[in-house]
Amino acid sequence: MRNYIYGLFIFILFSTTSISQSNVNPDISLIGTFNTTYDLTKNSPEKGKINFNVPEMELFVDGYLNPYARATGNIAYEDGEFSVEELYANIVRGLPLDAQIKLGKYLVGFGQLNIVHPHAWAFVGRPLFHQIYFGPEGFNDIGFNFSFILPTTSFYSNLDLGIFKGDAIGKNEVTTPDDQESIADHRGRSPIFVGRLGTFFQVGDYGNLGIGVDGSYGIHAKSDLNITGNSNFTPVNENLYYTYLGLDFKYKYKPDDYTSLTIQGEGILNNRDVVRNGRFGVDIPMQNKERISTYGAFLYLDYLFKKMYSFGAKYDYTNGILDDIPGISTRSNDDKNNTQGLTAWFGYYPIEHTLAFRFNVQHLIYHYANGPHRAPSTLFTLQMIFSLGPHKAHPF
Amino acid sequence: MKKILVLLIILTSTFVFADVKVVATTTIIHDLVKNIGKDKVDVDYICRGNQDPHFVEVMPSYMLKLRNADIVFKIGLDLEKWLPQLIDGSRNTNLEVIDLSKDIEKLEVPTTKMDARYGDVHPYGNPHYYLDPIDVKIMAKEIFDALATQDPENTAYYKKNYEAYLKKLNTKIEEWNRKMTKVKGEPIVFFHSSWIYFANQYGIKIAGYVEPKPGIPPTPSHNADVINLIKKGGIKLIVMENYYSDSAPNQIAGITGAKVIKVPVGIYGMDGIDSYFQMMDYIIDQIVNNS
Repeated sequence: MRNYIYGLFIFILFSTTSISQSNVNPDISLIGTFNTTYDLTKNSPEKGKINFNVPEMELFVDGYLNPYARATGNIAYEDGEFSVEELYANIVRGLPLDAQIKLGKYLVGFGQLNIVHPHAWAFVGRPLFHQIYFGPEGFNDIGFNFSFILPTTSFYSNLDLGIFKGDAIGKNEVTTPDDQESIADHRGRSPIFVGRLGTFFQVGDYGNLGIGVDGSYGIHAKSDLNITGNSNFTPVNENLYYTYLGLDFKYKYKPDDYTSLTIQGEGILNNRDVVRNGRFGVDIPMQNKERISTYGAFLYLDYLFKKMYSFGAKYDYTNGILDDIPGISTRSNDDKNNTQGLTAWFGYYPIEHTLAFRFNVQHLIYHYANGPHRAPSTLFTLQMIFSLGPHKAHPF
Repeated sequence: MKKILVLLIILTSTFVFADVKVVATTTIIHDLVKNIGKDKVDVDYICRGNQDPHFVEVMPSYMLKLRNADIVFKIGLDLEKWLPQLIDGSRNTNLEVIDLSKDIEKLEVPTTKMDARYGDVHPYGNPHYYLDPIDVKIMAKEIFDALATQDPENTAYYKKNYEAYLKKLNTKIEEWNRKMTKVKGEPIVFFHSSWIYFANQYGIKIAGYVEPKPGIPPTPSHNADVINLIKKGGIKLIVMENYYSDSAPNQIAGITGAKVIKVPVGIYGMDGIDSYFQMMDYIIDQIVNNS
């Protein structure tokens, strides 16, 4: 039913604009993504198969509401389902201190890559630590963001302060292995806070460097913990807090319109309360709250030449095992195991901003401190992206 | 001590508030503003002279330039599609945006509904009017008006500079007209559709373009068409902006014997090109001397 409603919405949108094009209409863009994959993972049921994945689509509607504010909607079709990926208004001028306010559902400015839509990345696939700490859609949340330009005159600095529902943090990650009811999910009832300080420098005539520090803090779950092991003891209701600290940089050297070199890296420190099952004495089960620290990072290099070709490589590291089912000691609650990734790609962009082809290979290595051994996985992806309409270039 | 401080404050405020802060989207506008505003105007630019003005990356450093500006002058006609994002990012509510194409007689204005199959066509007309010096006179007038409105106290100063610039420009226009009579009616292949205003002014025949459609990179089949065109028409010159790759033009020239001329279409787009006069001198001399 929901699919029909979205379909009807899209039909109305397009039929309206085709009938009455005028300057007051918003910009409408359609981005299509086709991925064909080939899996070489040992013992995988998918090994040797060519998978023609269901095409993905993003429909952007964007424009000024009035002289002071813009609004953007992004409806995505992924895995056979429509969803509202972004829907927000942005007050861009007229506020005290030249602040800007963004409100709605959107990609949160934690690091530099998260706010860029995946179709504009140089490579295929979300960085591993994004998937572990933010979820498969990245840090996409509902809330408010206040943005200020700092009074630095020789370089550009921006301070962002936001308050969000917290959907992207620890999404479905904290569940008890024994009793689903014992840990209440308090995401959304306890908002989270996100801050970012970004600075941008021009390096020589042709180089640009953006660096940033990011932080996020809040409750990622709430738990009734039996900290004594005594079954008659009333469980203690505890908040489980998390803190993310991030560092990021992006350097781009572009000596002419045909060549550029981009080096970008981001890292995260995840410090959070987690629930650990323990034993009191020999055989009385109990639960402890512990504080763990885990890490994630990526670094990539992309070289564009002759305007239409690029190649690059990326290294990823994250605590947590990528494909683990979310649980109290997995993914962002996992300080024992890690996943590493090596990615290489070749891109072909025959007509700038409208058509892109990428051949991407990703090799993942899983490190378990104890227990199971898992064979590394290798996935080849051939991607085609088209962009119809005036969807704006992403800022540096 | 107090007196010195007060004096310093007065002096600094005089310097700070005397200047009109201007950002020009291109270096040609920058040159005009510099000549008309002189030391009463603090002017900066966004797109470098050796950069394609259609594609400028949205950089925060450009937002910072606009944040401190009173006026931004643009070519308009949708050339600077990147400008609205920069203006939003600058958060400058007092910024005056002046479109210099307002009084230009536009060429190549589409008469039917355009879409991407026609390439990067500008829906309001071809924006490369700045290659016609007559249109530059209109730009200069627009700039003078805007500066005088922004800073009425110095109107006489701007007027004097504007008139002096116009006088020099008129002299150069006569000189360029004289030189260009030698190539009147000459067919030339250009790389991109930037030259319609220039060609109209000097009676040059645009025989074709290396780009199959505006903004679309050369293709082998179109190169073959251009080769035939050059051979059949006895065309001697391929003129191109120096920020485009000369790979396809050189290939065509290698087969046909035509000469490729790479010229700057922005100030500072090449060593020794520090003004509009020098840029036009260079373009015209190259065309005349190689025809």
